[in-house]
Amino acid sequence: MSLRIYAIAYLLFLYAPIILLPIFAFNDATIIAFPLSGFTTNWFAELATNKSLHAAVENSLFIAVITALLSTWLGLCAARAGAMHQFPLKAGIMGFIMLPLVLPEIIVAVSLLVVVVQVLELGMSNWTIIAAHVLICTPFCIAILNGAFQNLDPSLEEAAMDLGESRFSAFRLVTLPLVMPGIIASMLIAFTISLDEFIIAFFLSGSSPTMPVYIWGLLRFPASLPVVMALGTILVAMSIILLTIAELLRRRGMARAGVKDKGGFL
Amino acid sequence: MTALITLTGVNKYYADYHALRDINLTINEGEFFSLLGPSGCGKTTLLRTIAGFEMPSDGVVMIGGKDMAGVPANLRPTNMVFQSYAIFPHLTVAENVAFGLRKSKEIDKQTKAKMVAEALAMVGLDGYGKRAAHALSGGQRQRVALARALILKPKVLLLDEPLSALDKKMREQMQVELIRLQRQVGITFILVTHDQEEALVMSDRIAVMFEGEIGQLADPETLYRRPNSRRVAQFIGKMNMLDATVEVVDEVIDLTVRGLGSMQIEREQAPEGGQVGSAVVGIRPETLGILFEGETTERKLVDGVVDEVVYYGDMTYYDVRIEGVEQPLNIAMKNLIGRPVLEVGAKTQVIWDERSLVLLP
Amino acid sequence: MIVSPPFLYALLLMACPLLAIFLFSFWTQDFMTLDTSFTLDNYREIVEKPIYGALLQRSLYVSSCVTFVTVMLAFPVAYFVSFHVRPDRKSLWLFLITIPFWTSYLIRVFLWKVILGYNGVINTGLINVGLIDEPLTFILYNVNAVIITLAHAFAPFAILPIFVALEKIDRSLLEASQDLGESKFMTFLRVTLPLSMPGVVGAVLIVFIPTIGDYVTPELMGGAGGKLVANMIQTQFLALNNAPLGAALAIVAMLCVTVISVIFVLINRRWLKGRS
Repeated sequence: MSLRIYAIAYLLFLYAPIILLPIFAFNDATIIAFPLSGFTTNWFAELATNKSLHAAVENSLFIAVITALLSTWLGLCAARAGAMHQFPLKAGIMGFIMLPLVLPEIIVAVSLLVVVVQVLELGMSNWTIIAAHVLICTPFCIAILNGAFQNLDPSLEEAAMDLGESRFSAFRLVTLPLVMPGIIASMLIAFTISLDEFIIAFFLSGSSPTMPVYIWGLLRFPASLPVVMALGTILVAMSIILLTIAELLRRRGMARAGVKDKGGFL
Repeated sequence: MTALITLTGVNKYYADYHALRDINLTINEGEFFSLLGPSGCGKTTLLRTIAGFEMPSDGVVMIGGKDMAGVPANLRPTNMVFQSYAIFPHLTVAENVAFGLRKSKEIDKQTKAKMVAEALAMVGLDGYGKRAAHALSGGQRQRVALARALILKPKVLLLDEPLSALDKKMREQMQVELIRLQRQVGITFILVTHDQEEALVMSDRIAVMFEGEIGQLADPETLYRRPNSRRVAQFIGKMNMLDATVEVVDEVIDLTVRGLGSMQIEREQAPEGGQVGSAVVGIRPETLGILFEGETTERKLVDGVVDEVVYYGDMTYYDVRIEGVEQPLNIAMKNLIGRPVLEVGAKTQVIWDERSLVLLP
Repeated sequence: MIVSPPFLYALLLMACPLLAIFLFSFWTQDFMTLDTSFTLDNYREIVEKPIYGALLQRSLYVSSCVTFVTVMLAFPVAYFVSFHVRPDRKSLWLFLITIPFWTSYLIRVFLWKVILGYNGVINTGLINVGLIDEPLTFILYNVNAVIITLAHAFAPFAILPIFVALEKIDRSLLEASQDLGESKFMTFLRVTLPLSMPGVVGAVLIVFIPTIGDYVTPELMGGAGGKLVANMIQTQFLALNNAPLGAALAIVAMLCVTVISVIFVLINRRWLKGRS
């Protein structure tokens, strides 16, 4: 019983900042502090007219979509290889691919910065950020897709081939539909990570900032903080919606594959 | 009988592991053939080589007179029932059964539906077509797997340990049904199993495999009564082993068996021919007997002491020590009316007969 | 070979760049011109100037504290979800735990500032209740604030590996232990805890290593005395234009973290044997 109380208190600790977010987003004061002064939707209205914010959001969306597609594709290759094939040094190679999961982000950022600027002598652009985001998102995609592949009986694809399908059509008719929920969940997660990533984007963004880099700039000006709160509220709401979809898909995938649900992401 | 599958000099290596060693095998049309052996003996690899999931490192696999080199599984006239059944969980029962018909464009929809219904009826699953595959029981999955493979009318049906996931009752029921099904459709079945009883019950012929090679290839009765080696004898059923010395090999074989004395046996009791020198004889527990009080026998007797008693209800298994032999003899006795169950330490007489011996090299 | 695309990608975009900054750390830069002759000057400067040593020490201290606090707080939650939540509710709990993690990191850190600040939620709350007269100042713009914020940010990273390890424990082992005469508490100490160690070690590594690379939280929460090595790396690269020194700092920081992690794994290796 006391464990349950502790767990609920812990959840409150986890949610504390997020609960505050909408409170200040609708608060009619420029100072982010209690007591509250009144209800307003001005801050949201201000978001709608901010041109440079729109540009930043557009950038971030572009980066996040490309990152989601690329890292899910890479994750699909790795997860399939991990679940269905045996090859020399398998554990080492899989570990190597998962390594960005524990690599400090600043290391990823500065090492890519050095390569792009000093070695390749290229400028920064959205593509440099995409390159780095794909690197850090792929391990998450692999983790999610591994779940989807591990629930898959390897003889299913063989059975399809035995019944006359080629290797490719066996994958298309059997494996793909069964891991599809995992693929979508993986894309949503990669999208969310990329959209929110700041440490790397700050180093690697070119002349046009991404949304987190833009928010970072706003945080220095007290007057713009309520707008940040409003933006944050929208982002949190969107994240929750996307994650709920990802979770529902993952569960449906589990049910479809006829396995018992054993846990969440990762 | 016409040969359907011939394997000539088939070898399979995985890195430095020799999974199949020079397999030469002919399987006939309409035959119920079993590959029997302990786990890791290569029986599943052999089956997958016939199915086309593994390619032999060297040697030739012919099916229906055609060389199968380079022919992938989807283009071979074989279909498989997988150990896990591999029922597609995202499809219904009918969609599973119809899976292999997708490429047959010349068959129209109604005909396909009719074929599916017939296939389901054949395995006793009429009316199950609309069910979701993941809601089926183990026995039902097995039937779906059978219907899905048989609907394509393959030349050979390959079964990879198909009964191992079922409970004992269900397994016995499915054994009978598989035999019935095989007679009904008349195609060759190749069954992989580690269960010797299952192989004996179902097969026309059995290949017993050890460590990548075929130890003996014979019909069930020969395999049981005349195993050609100690490992086959011990893998199939129980077998008492006694040291022996072969003195003369001629029209008949003269030998001395430790504990039983000198005797003569027929040539056919030595499947490998027999050679002068030391050897081993095998005796099945049910061909020995215990002389109970009031019973008589015309067969030979040897004195012994009961060492262990295991009561099975219909049978009692005794371990009986006889003079000069270290390992007690295992004897199976039917619990007929009036027969007592002997106690450990009881003095008794063992009935034996040299006609039931088999001489092993 | 299907594994090659992700492998080549990691090779090209992780291994090669890491090699590049390693080489880079032996060069020097004067404003914009790069001198590519081999030198140990950068490392010499890091060793000789006390500020780098102090920053590194503080960073390792903060990372260790964050790791300790995060894992200690997370274990009971993972244990609760694994052992006391109905199986069909488990994924809901995990979902609730992971949600805050996926929401904008910058804004979350900023909101901790709102919670812990001079006029923040905690201080106004405590003053209104009457527990304190003056706002507490030890909770913002110092190392404590950094630790609290990071412990919050990395919570799910700690909970999930421990949860997975706990889920893998065969429940009959616990019954066997009680059957052999151990109390529930001793069963926890002698069976559950050792068997969950792979998860705990995983959690420690996955929290400890990345926290060394965070410069957002110390920048926003640390004040003057709470800056960490990642802030210095950032400054060297972006403000001072001394990328080689920044590279050398990054290498040194990573080396420290790796050595500590390896030692930690070696100390715990008896718990990791036979499991993966």
